[in-house]
Amino acid sequence: STSTSTVNRNAILVSHRQKGNPLLKHVRNVKWVFADVVCDYVLGDSSCALYLSLRYHLLHPEYLYFRIKELKKNFKLRVILCHVDVVDVLKPLLEVTRTSILHECTLLCGWSFEECGRYLETIKVYENKSADNIREHMDNDYMSRLNHALTTVRRVNKTDVITLGSTFGSLSGIMDASMEELARCPGIGEAKVKRLYDTFHEPFKRVS
Amino acid sequence: MLGYEEEIMAELLSESSGGLVVLSSGLRLQTLVTSLISLHSPPPPPTGTLLILTSSPPPLSHPLLAEIPGDLLSSHRESLYKTKRSFFVTPRILIADLLTGRCEPRDVSGIVVMDAHRVSDTSKEAFVVRLVKIKNKEVRVWGFSNRPQAMVSGFAKVERIMLCLGVRKIHLWPRFQVQVSTDLEKNPPEVVDIRVPMTLAMKGIQNAVLGTIDACLKELRGTNKVDVEDLTVENGLFKSFDEIVRRQLDPIWHTLGKKTRQLVADLTTLRKLADYLVRYDAVTYLKYLDTLRASAGTRSVWIFADSSYKIFEFAKRRVYQVVSSDGSKVTSNTKVVGSKKRKLKDNLKNTKHHEKDSLSSNDRCTGSLLEEVLEEPPKWKVLRELLEEIEEKRRKHSLLEEGAYDDDGGDNEIILVACKDEFTCMQMEDCITKGIKQVIQKEWKNYLLNKIDILSLSKQKKQKNQESKGFGVLNGEFSTRAGENIRACSMNVLENDVLLAAASKIEKEEKTSISSDPEPSIGKVSSLKVNNKCKKGSTNVLVSRTKCVNNSLGECKHGESSVGKKVDNEVESDSKEDKQDNVSIPFLQKHSANPKRTDLNHAKSLPPVQFYAIDSGKNILDMMKPSIIIVYHPDMTFVREIEIYKADNPSKKLRVYFLFYEDSTEVQKFEASIQRENRAFESLIKQKSLMVIPVDQDGQCTGFSDPESLILSRSSTRKAGGRKLKGEKMQVIVDMREFNSSLPNVIHQTGMRIIPVTLEVGDYVLSPAICVERKSIADLFQSFASGRLYHQVEMMSRYYPIPVLLIEFSQDKSFSFQSANEIGDDVSSSNIVSKLSLLVLHFPRLRLIWSRSVHATAEIFASLKINQDEPDEVKAIRVGVPSEDGIVEDDVRAENYNTGAIEFLRRLPGVTDANYRSLMDGCNSLAELADISVEKLAELMGGQKAARTLREFLDAKCVTMLR
Repeated sequence: STSTSTVNRNAILVSHRQKGNPLLKHVRNVKWVFADVVCDYVLGDSSCALYLSLRYHLLHPEYLYFRIKELKKNFKLRVILCHVDVVDVLKPLLEVTRTSILHECTLLCGWSFEECGRYLETIKVYENKSADNIREHMDNDYMSRLNHALTTVRRVNKTDVITLGSTFGSLSGIMDASMEELARCPGIGEAKVKRLYDTFHEPFKRVS
Repeated sequence: MLGYEEEIMAELLSESSGGLVVLSSGLRLQTLVTSLISLHSPPPPPTGTLLILTSSPPPLSHPLLAEIPGDLLSSHRESLYKTKRSFFVTPRILIADLLTGRCEPRDVSGIVVMDAHRVSDTSKEAFVVRLVKIKNKEVRVWGFSNRPQAMVSGFAKVERIMLCLGVRKIHLWPRFQVQVSTDLEKNPPEVVDIRVPMTLAMKGIQNAVLGTIDACLKELRGTNKVDVEDLTVENGLFKSFDEIVRRQLDPIWHTLGKKTRQLVADLTTLRKLADYLVRYDAVTYLKYLDTLRASAGTRSVWIFADSSYKIFEFAKRRVYQVVSSDGSKVTSNTKVVGSKKRKLKDNLKNTKHHEKDSLSSNDRCTGSLLEEVLEEPPKWKVLRELLEEIEEKRRKHSLLEEGAYDDDGGDNEIILVACKDEFTCMQMEDCITKGIKQVIQKEWKNYLLNKIDILSLSKQKKQKNQESKGFGVLNGEFSTRAGENIRACSMNVLENDVLLAAASKIEKEEKTSISSDPEPSIGKVSSLKVNNKCKKGSTNVLVSRTKCVNNSLGECKHGESSVGKKVDNEVESDSKEDKQDNVSIPFLQKHSANPKRTDLNHAKSLPPVQFYAIDSGKNILDMMKPSIIIVYHPDMTFVREIEIYKADNPSKKLRVYFLFYEDSTEVQKFEASIQRENRAFESLIKQKSLMVIPVDQDGQCTGFSDPESLILSRSSTRKAGGRKLKGEKMQVIVDMREFNSSLPNVIHQTGMRIIPVTLEVGDYVLSPAICVERKSIADLFQSFASGRLYHQVEMMSRYYPIPVLLIEFSQDKSFSFQSANEIGDDVSSSNIVSKLSLLVLHFPRLRLIWSRSVHATAEIFASLKINQDEPDEVKAIRVGVPSEDGIVEDDVRAENYNTGAIEFLRRLPGVTDANYRSLMDGCNSLAELADISVEKLAELMGGQKAARTLREFLDAKCVTMLR
């Protein structure tokens, strides 16, 4: 029984209700097994998902509400996986959005069985993954940091960063440059010169 | 004012609702706006304030015109709006003031919208007009634009612009309109059209660039995602080409593959390359190419195209080439050169010419492997000769008439040279004061010195690394160098060594010359063998004169008519030029040798010259009153400005010289820009004849009813059981920065009240519990990549029970992230599905709204607000703002801060959320920060380590182009 439980821990538990859902064909990167669960998919210790096709919702608008009610508060993350399979989405999507926000569910939309399946897989695979991939991070080498800072100035691109760097030698050199010196750099036009100069020379606080 | 301008005003004022005026580019909008302002001022006393909407004030001055700056206290702004004067104001501030009641619509009598081509039904200007018109039907709205091309780019765009502005009449005044052309051609200036042939290398580069553009376009067509018709090489030369491509690709932009996106970016780069070829000198062009190669790396498609190899090769050959000194000395070297020759077989004709020259001069200097070519831009010489010729003529003239010459006043001595950019202006100025050769030598020296800087630094670094870490090349340093090597794979190592050798030689010379007299050092420089093609081959300038302006100005017939047609009565000018050619060379040397005496000599040979950068957009003609204008870079708008200047001063003698590179993209672009504008006007004229603008019984434009009545009637029927009382309005708190999007406008249209404030957390606050961060699709992808989204969601979750991420698709784009077959087989961390999944896993409390369009969003907001309390403005502002600097109380915060500089500051290493505020207190601006000592920094940042990190980063030598 220990082996089955470890299998179950690494697998998505699928409710028997979902039998025949074409989505399951596309869940290939993780194992899944049928189980007696209240929600449609158990994706981890604290996350679960309900599957809802918008077309079905149009026929049975009350379905979603009853399914959410069953869920109780056992899961931290409660996903409503909404399959957008109708063309006229405005009204049904508005209803689903409202229901999910009022009942503390996270709405994810997929436009194909492939995409819906991929959401399930990903949430399972990433169950314990850190957020580093979507957090602010940058390469720590000099050029990336310089790019990171200088490209905050609108329209300044990486080529310009190199031009500026090689012309003035260092960042403090760039920051001290006069308008005329900036204008002498190839590829840096009137507007960019002004934006750069203003960024460096306008005081942080305009009103003291 | 000119005749046609008066007519425009008369037409405009006869219409009670205002009107939309579209002019040819270069015809003065300012005059029209100023006369509107003059008419507005008393007597008779104006009925209300005239507001001029601009995002940046145009060069326009009027004694009665003031600006309402964003950083003015809101109470001051309130009193200004009541004064019934004329003001500049940015739409963003005006929207906020209208919404908060600081500006009362009834106090406004007129609105002037500059850049009317930017108006759309969701734009800020449209929002302003609507806010005012709802309360004040009498207000007059005038729209102005001189970009007809931008008005025909979408379906029925003009009609929609007119509806947004609530105007019924459109006034079209193209350059070819009868009255305009008679006014401008009554006293035409004398025009001289000079065609300068390009050098062979320049032609080679131009062909290669055009070839590469063509190749990229073919590739783009192959993706089957764009309409082929607009994709021509000719269109590719225009900035608006990017718009054409982007407009087509935008709906599916996020579904495009990397390669297609890169192609679009490459086309922009190539367009620049074509443009810079005729604008920059050979050395600067090469420098730009080098930087481009260093930054573009392996991602660019075009860099590896066949023809792009030629671009680099030709660009190099205009500056220098590597030759073996005696063949036996460095065998590998000859091999390299040989292989290069083979690759360039098809261009052998051009290169042979070079080779001969260089070899002959090389005999004199054995052991040197680097051969300077330093091709001078042909236009430089022509400009100089032209100036000399002008001066010669003047001198003759004044001798003949004994001082009677200056009957036009003393100012006519000024010669205006108009270049595209400041850079060329400064360079040309140097050319005139210091001499052509000196300028190109200086650029070349800088180029070489730059190389040596980089080399010495990389050596230092390597040593440092070896000492400190023991395994030298295996740390970070190695990887960047390796990357560079891959990029530079086509560059051979030897060539680099040669360049560096030359660089170090120059550096030594520099050092020795510092101690010695400047005279000999200059002598040394000029004695360097310069293989100057321009000097040798007699410049084949075709000078032709035509008295007929119409040929050259306005309509573009001069292409066929004037090239090659040397007018007989001007033949003497050629011989004169030759003579001056001989004279000018000794002069130049004298000039450079004795910099102190230049003033005297200079005045004799060259007339006073004023340089003007067309890009700077200053109205210089009326200020300088030049009698001779040399248009160094032809530009349609500037040509029109000259025409108007002449028409304004009919008695003044004016001669205009145009310098064109023959058969260049420059000519092509100039002619095409006129044709494009004419086509746009023709289409506008057609649209005007078919236009239907709906009006109500009073003759007012429809569509400006008060949304308040709308929501009241709706709520009384639909939400009879709701707990909203009649008259109580739904409120949404909106971040000031969001007024750049159209959502606030649309929300307002649905009848909700909008409270504009500056929010530290979130974009919209719907209720005390619900806070929304809005992301358009492009924003979503971008802010996932930068990590901003994570931070924003984190902040929202910290302060609000229901944090919401709104993903807003755009109506005209597809409602999906990706098609099924683009999803791939594996879970990939770069896919949007993965990023969203990760986000919701880490923020299980985060709610998502998927909205089809802005309009859908407004509806969702309304439905979410049912049964919720209204948000508290005061609380919302405080959220996320650290309490210790709790001075925040006014909503003009965003205007009071240099947000760009702050964002920049926060991205510097060592700067954290905790210390950036005290840094801002401690130094006034970034420029000041650049000079602050570590000790002071440590004090401000509260730590030695952070201070050192920042200081080191600021001072670190920028090693950019390692090879």
